[in-house]
Amino acid sequence: MTNAMELYQMLPKTNCKKCGKTSCMAFAVALMARELKPEDCPPLMDEPKYKENYEKLSSIFKPSEGATETGLIVHEDLCFGCGNCVVACPPNVANDPYGVGSGNAPTNINKLVLTIEDGIVKAQNLGECRRFGKNKILCNGCIVTCPVEAIEFV
Amino acid sequence: MDFGSFLATPEIKVKVITYRDIFQDKAMIENRFGEEYRNLSAVIKLDPVDLKQLNVKKGDTVILKNSFGRIVVKVDESGYETPHRGVAYMPKSPWSNMLVSDETGGTGIPKFKDISVTITSAKGEKITEIEF
Amino acid sequence: MEKNYHVCTGCSLLCDDIEVEAEKNKINKVHTACRIGVAHMKAGKEEAIFRVDNKPVDEATAISEAAAILKNAKNPMIFGLGASTNEAQKTAIELAKKINATLDDTSSFCLGSLVEALISEKIKTCTLDDVRNKADVIIFWGTDPSDSHPRHLSKYSYFPRGSEKQRGWEEERTAIAIDVRKSHTAKICGNYFFQIPPKGDAEFTDALIAGLSGKLPKTSYNYPPKKILELANILKGAKFGVIFVGRGLIYSLENLEPLFRLMKALNEKANFHLMPMVGNYNTMGFNENLFAETGYVNSVKFENGTVLHGPDYSIVEALKERTVDAALIVGSDPFSILPRSIVKNLLEIPVISIDPYETLTSRNSKVYINTAISGVEAGGSATRMDGKKVSFEPAIETNHPSDETILKKIMEAL
Repeated sequence: MTNAMELYQMLPKTNCKKCGKTSCMAFAVALMARELKPEDCPPLMDEPKYKENYEKLSSIFKPSEGATETGLIVHEDLCFGCGNCVVACPPNVANDPYGVGSGNAPTNINKLVLTIEDGIVKAQNLGECRRFGKNKILCNGCIVTCPVEAIEFV
Repeated sequence: MDFGSFLATPEIKVKVITYRDIFQDKAMIENRFGEEYRNLSAVIKLDPVDLKQLNVKKGDTVILKNSFGRIVVKVDESGYETPHRGVAYMPKSPWSNMLVSDETGGTGIPKFKDISVTITSAKGEKITEIEF
Repeated sequence: MEKNYHVCTGCSLLCDDIEVEAEKNKINKVHTACRIGVAHMKAGKEEAIFRVDNKPVDEATAISEAAAILKNAKNPMIFGLGASTNEAQKTAIELAKKINATLDDTSSFCLGSLVEALISEKIKTCTLDDVRNKADVIIFWGTDPSDSHPRHLSKYSYFPRGSEKQRGWEEERTAIAIDVRKSHTAKICGNYFFQIPPKGDAEFTDALIAGLSGKLPKTSYNYPPKKILELANILKGAKFGVIFVGRGLIYSLENLEPLFRLMKALNEKANFHLMPMVGNYNTMGFNENLFAETGYVNSVKFENGTVLHGPDYSIVEALKERTVDAALIVGSDPFSILPRSIVKNLLEIPVISIDPYETLTSRNSKVYINTAISGVEAGGSATRMDGKKVSFEPAIETNHPSDETILKKIMEAL
């Protein structure tokens, strides 16, 4: 699971404050929350020795076509409809413990991030996704449980 | 240069492991005489090195032969599976069943998962029909 | 709000939480089912078909022709029924008795031996609900449920919360795959995938038993002993372990002894259960119904009130030895699923095919009767892979007769 600490490791760690934040760690947290972009760190952009780290960071945060607001993409042609992601998704479990959280049909459809429709996973209510909003974490519950990499975050 | 390419038609021996494929099963339910089911069934997955030795590319047809049958199927390159030279993967289907021995030792159970075949390029020959 | 859930008869999981959006005789949308389930539930067709010698006929003609074939046969065979309701299966058993038929299903060349061991209580088993509620160590051996029973891991065996498993799969469950090929299920098991060579299962079993009692586990294919010991340690710590067994394991064993030995060793150290990954939605029902009637799960021949049993009465040997002279095949496609080298003999005898689908078998039959898809177009009951009874109502209307109706009509016509 990617977290602010891992992002921090790829930053200059000089606490130069040129980005407007008080420290590189604060910048990493802002990156996680998508308040700032890797491009907002001037040394990362300007100094050749950070080039590799910049490329890594920008690939993590690269926006992509078809992506939802959390960056979630479903490759529908790959999906088995097995529902592993639906059952493993932490907000799904929290919002519907005896429905999808217990492996059953959804009972709280308005709060579920992932459901299965016509044998294919469907993403909705992305405000509930742990990758959404200010306090997001790079949760990967739906990715590691998928047999075929049908879900991707970009 | 690969020794295989000096032969007129390079040939390799492989063990075939059959498996279930969800999209193939889905296609079978929809139409077992359809294009999709055929494309997902009449196929053998090989290790990239074996492909090279046979001098065939992904999507070409190959001949699979043993004493129980001879079929032409499409060849594919395996994906995430670990290297498996000398072992080939094939979805279980009427095609793979054309290569299964009739020996059962009186047990009532054929050797579905004990298939050995030689593979050669089919040089464009069409995929075998399953109809009698 | 009480929802109207349907049962999916796409595989032996019999998922009972499927919602459909349907018009009178067509399903437009399916919720919660997997790819297989959706294809299955949407497979209903328009017109009922009856054929004799590949020409369309009416129902009565098809029934009387089928009855004539069975009447003229000295040694008829009835085969299939794994995709039929318990009610249809019981009717078929009655019919087999009446015409002194050989009766068999796909379990004779799949997992029947193991199912028989379970039904006769030679091996400890449990229900899928037990697995969801309690299982902490789950082994998939020679089986890939991600492809064959797609919701197995999400509904029961790995990912769901259960009454005694509230903290989730990462903390409370370990899923292990043992297989000759890195299947999709093996992928999900990550570091707990143990890849063994073809035919290596019996040796791996004994190595594991050695590992369980702290001995050095040896195999002729030099499987790293450290990895086997690591696995043995996980198994020893299981409070509720379960082994799901597929054909990959069964085909690789000469007999079931290695499995019996392993289960005994595991239950000396821990608490282990075993469940066969039967394929068709009601294979388990067929095995149970036939066992209740005869004491055997498959491969029987009825003979004037007595029952003969053994591999000789399996479909494979019956075809190989050409001992049957007509075949009634219900909801199965032997021309596709059996070796061509054996099933070609079926072309030599008259075949009656009763099936919701057009198959190689239906196309090579003297009589073909196209029936309703049970669970979608017809109701009834079935037995889930773990022995649980499940009843279902049709989800849509149809003008197709059920296989139960057809079997009854054939019986009356005899």
